[in-house]
Amino acid sequence: MQSLTNRAKPVDRRPMNFMERMYLPAVLKGMSITFSHMFKKAPTVRYPDETRPFSPVFRGLHVLNRDEEGRERCTACGLCAVACPAEAITMEAAERKQGEENLYREEKYAAKYEINMLRCIFCGLCEEACPKDAIYLSETFAPSNFARKGFIYGKKDLLIPDPKTEAADLAKAKGTN
Amino acid sequence: MTIYIDNKPYEAKAGKNLLEACLAAGINLPYFCWHPSLGSVGACRQCAVKVFKDEKDTQGRLVMSCMEGVRDGVRIGVEEATAKAFREQVIEWMMTNHPHDCPVCDEGGSCHLQDMTVMTGHDYRRYHYKKRTYKNQYLGPLINHEMNRCIQCYRCVRYYHDYAGGDDLNVFAAHNHVYFGRDKDGVLQSPFSGNLAEVCPTGVFTDKTLKEHYTRKWDLTMAPSVCTHCSVGCNITAGERYGKLRCVVNRYNEEVNGYFLCDRGRFGYEFVNSENRVTQPLIRGRMSEAVSEEELMHELSVLLSQQKLVGIGSARASLESNFALRQLVGAGNFYAGISETEAYLTRLIVQVMQEGTLHSASLKDIEQADAVIVLGEDVWNTAPMMALAVRQAAMKTAANNAAAQLSLPAWHDAAIKELVQTDKGFLANITVAGSPIDNIAQVTVHAVPDDIARLGFAVAHELSNTLPALANADEKLLQTARQIAAALQQSKHPVIVSGLSCVNSAVIRAAFDIAAALNNTHWKASVAYVLPECNSMGLALMQAPSAERIFDSSNANDMTALILENDLYRYLPQATADAFFSRCSNVIALDSIHNNTTEKAQVLIPAATFAEADGSMVNYEGRTQHYYKVFIPKEGHIKESFHWLNSMRIAKNNRSNGHGLSLDELLHEAEIEMPVFEGVHDAMLSPHYSIHGEHIPREPHRYSGRTAMYANLNVSEQKPLQEEGESAFGFTMEGFKGQPPADAAPFFWSPGWNSGQSVTKYQQEPGGAFKGHIPAVQLFHDKVDKAPVFFKDIPEAFVARKQKWLVLPQYHVLASGELSSYTKALASLLPEACVVLSETDAALLGVRDGDKIRVHPGTTALPVKVHLSLANGVVLISAGLPGTEVYNWGDWVKIEKE
Repeated sequence: MQSLTNRAKPVDRRPMNFMERMYLPAVLKGMSITFSHMFKKAPTVRYPDETRPFSPVFRGLHVLNRDEEGRERCTACGLCAVACPAEAITMEAAERKQGEENLYREEKYAAKYEINMLRCIFCGLCEEACPKDAIYLSETFAPSNFARKGFIYGKKDLLIPDPKTEAADLAKAKGTN
Repeated sequence: MTIYIDNKPYEAKAGKNLLEACLAAGINLPYFCWHPSLGSVGACRQCAVKVFKDEKDTQGRLVMSCMEGVRDGVRIGVEEATAKAFREQVIEWMMTNHPHDCPVCDEGGSCHLQDMTVMTGHDYRRYHYKKRTYKNQYLGPLINHEMNRCIQCYRCVRYYHDYAGGDDLNVFAAHNHVYFGRDKDGVLQSPFSGNLAEVCPTGVFTDKTLKEHYTRKWDLTMAPSVCTHCSVGCNITAGERYGKLRCVVNRYNEEVNGYFLCDRGRFGYEFVNSENRVTQPLIRGRMSEAVSEEELMHELSVLLSQQKLVGIGSARASLESNFALRQLVGAGNFYAGISETEAYLTRLIVQVMQEGTLHSASLKDIEQADAVIVLGEDVWNTAPMMALAVRQAAMKTAANNAAAQLSLPAWHDAAIKELVQTDKGFLANITVAGSPIDNIAQVTVHAVPDDIARLGFAVAHELSNTLPALANADEKLLQTARQIAAALQQSKHPVIVSGLSCVNSAVIRAAFDIAAALNNTHWKASVAYVLPECNSMGLALMQAPSAERIFDSSNANDMTALILENDLYRYLPQATADAFFSRCSNVIALDSIHNNTTEKAQVLIPAATFAEADGSMVNYEGRTQHYYKVFIPKEGHIKESFHWLNSMRIAKNNRSNGHGLSLDELLHEAEIEMPVFEGVHDAMLSPHYSIHGEHIPREPHRYSGRTAMYANLNVSEQKPLQEEGESAFGFTMEGFKGQPPADAAPFFWSPGWNSGQSVTKYQQEPGGAFKGHIPAVQLFHDKVDKAPVFFKDIPEAFVARKQKWLVLPQYHVLASGELSSYTKALASLLPEACVVLSETDAALLGVRDGDKIRVHPGTTALPVKVHLSLANGVVLISAGLPGTEVYNWGDWVKIEKE
């Protein structure tokens, strides 16, 4: 049969000679490779104490954004949900009442906003669909939980800390403190 | 005739404009101000096309296609570069001030402006200056106003003011700051205001009740349904999400409601989400009243084996449920849950209609009538959409006359309005206390029912000498009769509208006589009798005696009564209803909402509302219409009444052969049992119906959140609920992806057309019949050659009695049916109940506006309202409002000053 690439090496099928049958040189050769690695730089990092740098386009868990004044940006327009190929987002809209202008940026807001993280495929289409800069995929990933229920992220899990009242938390979340 | 669109030949109908021809040919041509029901005014400049002189002409001229009529062989260019650029520019110009707030706009996702913008290709904004802004108005609890979104198409005023006759919405200011609204904040007065939400191509006017639980159109689970709030039976599309009914929108039906709905129908849906719903089977007097289905069926099998079992049918329950009850208790024990008077009057109407000498007028027939007589019916309040149709008849007749004068095409709205000015077609509105359509009527008479009937008979006599003349009639009445008869003789296809609100059989007979006298080679008259409830006609056709007749049977004691979706306290005077319940040893009630009757029930069974049920209803004209489940309620105990009744039938007979249980089997059984219902099962899409083996999906293909909606309840994706047995519709977005049969489309959508205007794609021509339209099932059949049997018993003239008054119901436009008053938004608009008296009578009793009086045998004192043109000797009492008492309407009562 004709080989598919020109990199194929023919296998040497000659019977082993005495030296080879002793195995010792081969064992030593292998061990020397192993020991040489002790003096090289480790390719792994000590996760989670250490993390690797992320690409700026990394798509991790979602966050719901606030504006500079700490008001929720999401208006529950439903475009992320309709864009979601995994059908993992659902929300219920509500009208902003008088006196809530400091909480919500526009006259509508999401009374309920849920992402089923077990269904989510982290494709980022929600982020792309959002006309209000409200949903972003963060650098956090690998969520863990004791129960499946914990993977249903509600608004309290998704919203970023308020830059005005919880500035320290926000800085911590951003990793800028 | 043939027209050429982009050099391709198309067939077009004469008398249409180019826009209509293009849309009928399936070509996507953007438009705003034109509407099939409103005609063209050429206000928005959006539908520009090129018209060429002949084949050689390459230059062409730009015209507004809605303002140019179809000519044989006309060559137009829709895809012409200049025309396209023009349309794109018009959109760009309209969008300069549009706030681009689609994410917070309720219209988003079903917005004509969005669709048209995408259609023209305009995408990037080049205008970088400050946008013009307006102050919004408070327009009441039904309609939300957001004026910044306006694109000045004028559709709202043209609909509200010109079409529906409202006078409190108008257009103000000029130039670049034209304002559509009221002169000051306030509730919109017209009961047809809800249509603004659909007429407006963008989000200026939106449904305020939807805001309470907002859901985008693409996230609704929808099904074709029928309005249950009056006997007209308008077609609606109801939408659900998360087990809550979210909104009701118009479902086009050429012969019934066309493009519009009344506010009662559009906003009266919220009772489905009411906290007052019956959700659990209850057996009262137990330690724990809420019981499981097994316990319930066990209790019922004991109760149903009682000897004296009677069933009370309902005028607001479906045909299937009423029939299932009749089968359970036996035809001899089946009574209609209405008063004897109402039963007598509906029987008379059924008898008249079944004779078949007169055509039963649909709303379309009324709209196209060239003369209308409203004889004694308060159409505005009892069948609002019919009042709107009556208005169209008056307007269109005048428009047609004017158009014929100058040979103007019918669509040329502005020109025709200019020519017509204030002319109206003939309308005689003969009522007890007047109505808002009085102001478009040539003849208005306010009289007592007997005198209304006498006037009717006098008109009939004028039309046909063979009919008896009035004995000792006064000259004024005869003069009016002559005037009406003369106008009728000028007409070709008049319609006579009457009904039950006069509670007088002579009025019904007189209406028949007038129509029958006009039904020969010269005229083609038809008649419409308004009934009180959505399925009054269906119940009447079952020929069951009224609930009051139960007392007639000698041993009417210790009965076990099964009451189907009926609040007897709404139909019978309290004393009568109390007497009935005192004779029942057991009361089993099936209802969806707690009311006075369900309070009396020992066993209460949760029944489904229209949104959770399948069923058929017969409207006033004998048209059978089927409505389909919108959703399956989360409370698993809520089921259709016929479902419960069938289970009871099995429990009672202690056996089941498995037949007569599904919906279509039940209808087949009904057809065999009662031949009058022949063909009713054709009104529904067969449960076995499928297209290429696929269901019709109730959800749009963009429905979102499927794996997340109920994730808080269960992380794994839940199996969508399915109906027991088969159904043509599926509860998910999966299924047939093409256009479903238009008559049973769960929602209207077409690629590029997300708004309700996509209905055009389902019609043979804009504003015309549906593609593949299946004729409606009519239970009354016209018999052409049959000679009418006239009624000749004319009542005596009304004489007011001393100290006694003739009591008549005064319904309210938002609440003549039972269920709409359970809706929060509508309930807030209902007036306080009152007693209406004539000026003389009020003076006689020594009362003034606002004084409280007590009308016997009622128990509560009500405030007086003095009516200037009401006849003496009559008292009108608010009926149908929550908490109002029921009287023996048409009876004589005593009045006492508080």
